[in-house]
Amino acid sequence: MFAVLQGAFDPALFWEYRVTLLIGLLQNLSIFAESAAVAIILAFIVGIARLSPRRALSWTATAYAEFFRNTPEYVLLVWIYFVLPLLLTKLVGMQVKFSPHLAAVIGLGVAYSGFMSETVRAGLRSIPGGQTEAAQSLGLSSLTILRRITLPQAIRRMLPEVINQLVSLFKATTIVSLISVQDIMYQVSMISVAEMRPVPLYTGAALIYCVVIIAATQALQALTQRWRTRGWA
Amino acid sequence: MIENFNRYVLANVEPLLGGLWVTLYVCFWSFLLALILGLVACLIRLRGGFLRYLAIPYIEFCRATPIFVQLLWVNYVWPEIFGFPQTVTGAGIIALALQSSGYLAETFRAGFDGLPKGQREAAAAVGMSRWRVLYRIELPQVALVAMPLVINQLAVIVKSSTLVSVIAISDLMYQGLKIVNQWYEPIEVLTAIALAYFLLIFSISRVANAVYVHFQAKFGIAGYR
Amino acid sequence: MESGLNQIRPIIQVNDLHKSFGTQEVLRGITLAVESGAVVSVIGASGSGKSTFLRCLNYLERPSSGEIIVDGETIGASAAAPGRRAAEPSSRDIARMRSTLGMVFQQFNLWPHMTVLGNVIEAPIQVKRMPRREAEDLGRQFLAKVNLLDKQNEYPAKLSGGQQQRVAIARALAMRPKVMLFDEATSSLDPELTTEVLEVMRDLARDGMTMLVVTHEMGFARDVSDRIVFLHAGRVEEDGCPAQVFNAPLSERCRQFVSSALG
Repeated sequence: MFAVLQGAFDPALFWEYRVTLLIGLLQNLSIFAESAAVAIILAFIVGIARLSPRRALSWTATAYAEFFRNTPEYVLLVWIYFVLPLLLTKLVGMQVKFSPHLAAVIGLGVAYSGFMSETVRAGLRSIPGGQTEAAQSLGLSSLTILRRITLPQAIRRMLPEVINQLVSLFKATTIVSLISVQDIMYQVSMISVAEMRPVPLYTGAALIYCVVIIAATQALQALTQRWRTRGWA
Repeated sequence: MIENFNRYVLANVEPLLGGLWVTLYVCFWSFLLALILGLVACLIRLRGGFLRYLAIPYIEFCRATPIFVQLLWVNYVWPEIFGFPQTVTGAGIIALALQSSGYLAETFRAGFDGLPKGQREAAAAVGMSRWRVLYRIELPQVALVAMPLVINQLAVIVKSSTLVSVIAISDLMYQGLKIVNQWYEPIEVLTAIALAYFLLIFSISRVANAVYVHFQAKFGIAGYR
Repeated sequence: MESGLNQIRPIIQVNDLHKSFGTQEVLRGITLAVESGAVVSVIGASGSGKSTFLRCLNYLERPSSGEIIVDGETIGASAAAPGRRAAEPSSRDIARMRSTLGMVFQQFNLWPHMTVLGNVIEAPIQVKRMPRREAEDLGRQFLAKVNLLDKQNEYPAKLSGGQQQRVAIARALAMRPKVMLFDEATSSLDPELTTEVLEVMRDLARDGMTMLVVTHEMGFARDVSDRIVFLHAGRVEEDGCPAQVFNAPLSERCRQFVSSALG
């Protein structure tokens, strides 16, 4: 067993394929950035809609959030990559095809918008109603109240949870190889097969992800801690 | 589309249900294993002396590593180094359990931290052995407070279980993809599978929520979600 | 019919105001007139509907039926033409009516992420589109009036309750309302801190502001008000000058309330 352990960690192998691996990693990072943007924008729309006094709007938004929170990401990715283009083709009449990258961005974006919309909703609700009433009694419009009173405070409160969810999103980008995106996991699989040595690469991948995620989480928490305790908070 | 549904879903109901059974089987066993590993890791972390310095990296590793990476690692690397698991099903169960054991360990830890200190001292003063205290006094309370989150982890396991199809475990996802690859008609099958998973996971979430509400009302525990 | 004398027209006229929350009827037909420049105190036991009444005036609560006329403008269910179903007032009507009424809350409701000056000038900038410089001058003017100019760059969390409430008063005054509504403005303050707020309210009254004050402070009610309204179970039980309400009330319930309140 120890002999095998010796062969388990082989940084040289990583170094040898560093370019391929980095290009793969770039795919993960770009998909992460783009789907994060999609998720955040959708989360605000859905989160605010959930608090609307109009029943139809709030119910639809809640159904959206519940569906995407309770459906596996892999299933969503596959569905968006294979099924959605077919449905759109029937609808639009023109041939619609998604690139794997696009499908991944849409899929992960909507999946995580479900979780984030819950965070947005909780953040908005945490602002005491009296502040809104005072603003209303001074004649401020609903939009102004949202923009000037509620959101500035709510965003600060949402930040820790949103960061947790973004970290989860980054971890989720590891599955995009399953819809043919040539990301780092794809490269790792390819190299493992080529070299016939799965042990060092898969172990290395696990270790690298572990270290990166832990470091990133610590750093982000430290950063937001400083930002949140500045000034009035 | 209805005829397609009949042709591809209903006609294949047997393998699909078989896949569902495998999903449930894998999720059940990994949930159990996760509970055990999580509890042990938590206890070692809290009370294990120098062994804590093994437990903490274990927990951090389980939480920080993406489940897909863990799955491939357990499936391809462990048999070479440790000699087990010998089956893909075993690998799937172990990997899912590892991932959740990290979160559960932290959940239990928060539960233990929330217990009033005086309880342990009072029990010790009465002469209870440390194990008795743990078993009769602390664990029941931690179980109560942690229950909603624990049930939620089951939902997470079911969600992650879709990935085990990649290492050729014949779960629901695997069977569905098999049909799609065979007939190139993905719409009905994949939609049906998505709905199936949604219903399953949504039900588990609802149960977790109901437990939370019920425990709040009955025990007044200021739990957490 | 209109009399020609505008100064006789009350600045607030409430006719048969009803408000129910679900099946619970909280206001059961309140009719009341407030003249310009008058200070009217509204007293009564908890649950008598005092706060609800005040909040109906600026539409923080929607009246179930009845008429509210503020400065000649009718808002409320009967604003529609006779024979047609009552129309909901538009948000523009509500906003216009709210700019005539300033409100001070029991919980102050300052915005914690803005400075004291920021709180005061926010509404003039956003609602009246006042340029920032002008708004800041205006804000400082009103902060000086409540004796808090030196705290203009502090955040509300650093201020005492009494100071926060005075900022809230300045914030309401900055919109130059015709009427100031006080909803139990001193009820959440420690006793030592109520004096500073009551002082400000007395000054306001002396300057001729029309004030509608829901309060438990009987001393203030007796000394500063022109009129006292006693509410019981959603109805006006007593409405007269302080001397009458405190010394010779017509209603037995009012007499009981006043004697137990004054100890």
